[in-house]
Amino acid sequence: MIVLLTLLLCGGILISGVLAVQLDSLVSAVISAGLASLFAAVVYVVLAAPDVAMTEASIGSGLSTMIFLYAIRKTRDED
Amino acid sequence: MVDIVINIAFVLIFFSIVFGIIRLVIGPETVDRVVAIDLLTIIAIAVIGLLAHLANRYIYLDVALVYGLLSFLGVLAVARFLEKGI
Repeated sequence: MIVLLTLLLCGGILISGVLAVQLDSLVSAVISAGLASLFAAVVYVVLAAPDVAMTEASIGSGLSTMIFLYAIRKTRDED
Repeated sequence: MVDIVINIAFVLIFFSIVFGIIRLVIGPETVDRVVAIDLLTIIAIAVIGLLAHLANRYIYLDVALVYGLLSFLGVLAVARFLEKGI
């Protein structure tokens, strides 16, 4: 069961990575990149590394999404 | 009895991850993808709780706690961005 779940999560990481490259809307691409790190944190928990998972969840999914959105807003205001 | 409940939870989590990813892929608007990632975050918290029960290590629940707080902040940041608040 855990192996199937891990395979599904790794497939989700692949799909969201491809979407982050392929999507036209910048906000949707940022959201997809956040989903990749969100699933990666769950895979870290499966691999018995809860501290790495906590760091990945806080930085990858929380902080980097906000910084990307802030950067998109700043660069669009200058156009 | 507990095994039956855990197997049912695994099957429900499988289907909800699949449907969430489908909504993320075909969602035409950005708002659809925001809702999909919010759903997938809740599912991820459920997965971490299930793994904490299966591995008998309750330190994993701290990860779920951090996860819930930060995913809420992430969705809030995207919502403020879409309403031109950031």
